[in-house]
Amino acid sequence: MSDEVKIGVVSCSGEDCLGGAISRLATLKMLNEIRPDETVTICLPLFLAGGEEERGFAQSFPTLAVDGCNKLCAKRATEKYSGKVSDAFDVSDLIGKETAASKPLSTRYLTQEHQEMVNKVAKEIRIRFEDILMDYYKNAAQRIKASGKTPNCGCNCGK
Amino acid sequence: MTSRYAVLPCNGLDKSVGCITREIALGLVEKSETDLICPVMFRVSDARYTKIAADKPLLVLDGCATRCASKLAAEKGLKVAKKITVTEEAKNRKVAVGKSLKLGDSDLRLAEAVVEELLKEEKPKESPAGQDFSTIVYDYETYKKDKFIFRVPRSGFYFNENDCWVIVSGNRARVGVADFVQQSLSDIMFFTPPAVGAEIEQFGELGSIESGKAVFEVISPVSGVVTAVNDELISAPELLNENPYEKGWIAELELTDFDEDKELLLDFEGYFKVLKRKVDEFHVK
Amino acid sequence: MSSMSNKVKVIPCSGMGKVQGLVARETALKVISELCPNDAETVCLAYLVTGDDEAKDKIEGASCLTLDGCAKLCAAKNVELAGGILKKKFRVVDIFREHKGVKPGSATMLTEEGWQLVDELAEKVKKNVVELVREV
Repeated sequence: MSDEVKIGVVSCSGEDCLGGAISRLATLKMLNEIRPDETVTICLPLFLAGGEEERGFAQSFPTLAVDGCNKLCAKRATEKYSGKVSDAFDVSDLIGKETAASKPLSTRYLTQEHQEMVNKVAKEIRIRFEDILMDYYKNAAQRIKASGKTPNCGCNCGK
Repeated sequence: MTSRYAVLPCNGLDKSVGCITREIALGLVEKSETDLICPVMFRVSDARYTKIAADKPLLVLDGCATRCASKLAAEKGLKVAKKITVTEEAKNRKVAVGKSLKLGDSDLRLAEAVVEELLKEEKPKESPAGQDFSTIVYDYETYKKDKFIFRVPRSGFYFNENDCWVIVSGNRARVGVADFVQQSLSDIMFFTPPAVGAEIEQFGELGSIESGKAVFEVISPVSGVVTAVNDELISAPELLNENPYEKGWIAELELTDFDEDKELLLDFEGYFKVLKRKVDEFHVK
Repeated sequence: MSSMSNKVKVIPCSGMGKVQGLVARETALKVISELCPNDAETVCLAYLVTGDDEAKDKIEGASCLTLDGCAKLCAAKNVELAGGILKKKFRVVDIFREHKGVKPGSATMLTEEGWQLVDELAEKVKKNVVELVREV
C-alpha cells in the first residue's frame, strides 16, 4: 500500500455544544492514534485566515467532514472554500440530538461516558475513512487500466 | 552606534526658533560624534569647516522659513544630506513654540525630541546589520509533503547538514535556519542569541531556538566573529516561522575563511536532496 | 431579528493540532462559564467561516477579545472579517513564553501545568472583560 495517500478529516470548531467537542476529540483520536500516518487535518478558520495553501486542502486530499450538529459547518465551510468533500456525517446522529446539543465540554470534566462517545464517533470516522481509501484505490486502479499501462504488481495479470 | 553629522545651524538669535535650533545642534554634539559648524565663522572663513563638511554628512538646521543656514550651504556649494526646519518640526508635532528667547520647557522638549529622532534615524545607516544583504533576491524552490510546503532558496545560499544556512557578502555572512527546522519545531517561542563578539568555529553553536516541541541548537555553517544578532527575534521569535530566510535571520559574522568553510557546505542542489530525504523520513505533524 | 447582547465576545481559535489551541479554547470556556458568565459569551468561529447570519449579527459592532493559539491568528482575522471590534488579541504563545520549560500537555489533554496556564490566562481575559463592561 502506498504511503503517499492521505485522507483529510475535518472537524467543526465545536465551541458551541457537546457534539462539537466530541467531534473534535474523535478527529484527533484518528489523527494521533488510529491512522496517524494516513490522516491530515486542518482548522476550519484557516480557510479564511490562511492562504491558497490552506484553501487547497480538499483538492489535495479526499476529505471527510465530521460535524457536531446539523449546522454542518465543517462540510459547508470545506465545500465553500476548498472543495467537495468525499463524505460527511453529523455526530448527533450517533450520540443523539439532545446529547449533542447540550452545553460545551471542557476536557477538564471529561467522563468515561464522554470518552465512550468519542470512541463511538472515532469508530465511525475510521469506517468511513476506510471506505474513502478503498474508493481512492479503486479509482486509481481504473485510471491505470484505462490508460493501458501495465500495473506495478509485476506479473502482467492485468488486474 | 553614533551619529557622524556635520551640523550647520542657522544663527537666529532674535527668534525663539533660532534658539531652539542652537539647542538641537548642541544636543547632537553632546550625544554623538557630530561636529558643529559655526555659521558666522563659516561665512567669513570657510577653510576651517570645509573638510568637516566634506567628510561627514551635512545636516542643516533652520529655525524658520527664511532658511538662512540652507542658503549659506547653497552659497558654499555644500552637499546637504538632511535639512530640518524647526517651525515645521513644531507644526508636525503640534507643539506651539514659545515667543521668549529664553527657552521654556516645551521648547526644550521639542529640541530634545528632534535630537532623539535624528539619532534614531542614524542608527540603521550605521548598523552593519542589513547593509550588506539588502540586495538579496529570494527565489525559492519548494518541496511539498502532505499539507506542508518546504522552501529552499535557489541561489546564493549555502547549507550544512544541520539545516542551517549562510549567505555571504564580501567578508560578512548572515546565518539562519532552514524552513525544515521551523516546520519541525512548529511555533518557536524562544530565541537565545549568540554573544556579539563571540568567536565561532565552523559547526560550532550559534545560539538556540526553542518551541514547545524541542530546543534546536543553531550550528554555524561558517567560522567567524559574531558582529550582529537579529534582536527582533527575541521579542518576536515567530518571525522565524514566518520567514526563516528573510526576516528570521539569526546572526551576522565577520568571516574567518569562507573558502575553506565552503568545501564542507552544500549548495542548493545538494541541500535540496538532503531536505527531500529528511522530509520523507520524518512525519511532521 | 439580531441578538442584541451586550456581553463581551470571547472567541478562541479552533486550533486542532496543537496544545496552544486547546489552551485557547479552555481559557475561553472558563471565562464565559465560570469567571464572567453574565458579562461574556463566545461565538463559534465555524459559524463565522460559514457566514451564519445569527453569528454575524452577534459579532458585528460587538466588543471582542480573541484568543489565538498560533501566529496564524485565525480568531482575530475571522472576527475582524465579520465586523467585530477587536479590543484585544491574546496570543497563547505569550503566556507560554512567560513560563519557559512548562510541559502543558497535548492537543487533546492538558497537564496540571497546562491547566495552570489556562487559569492564569483566564484571569487576564477576565480583567479585560471587566474593563470593557465598565466602558459601556
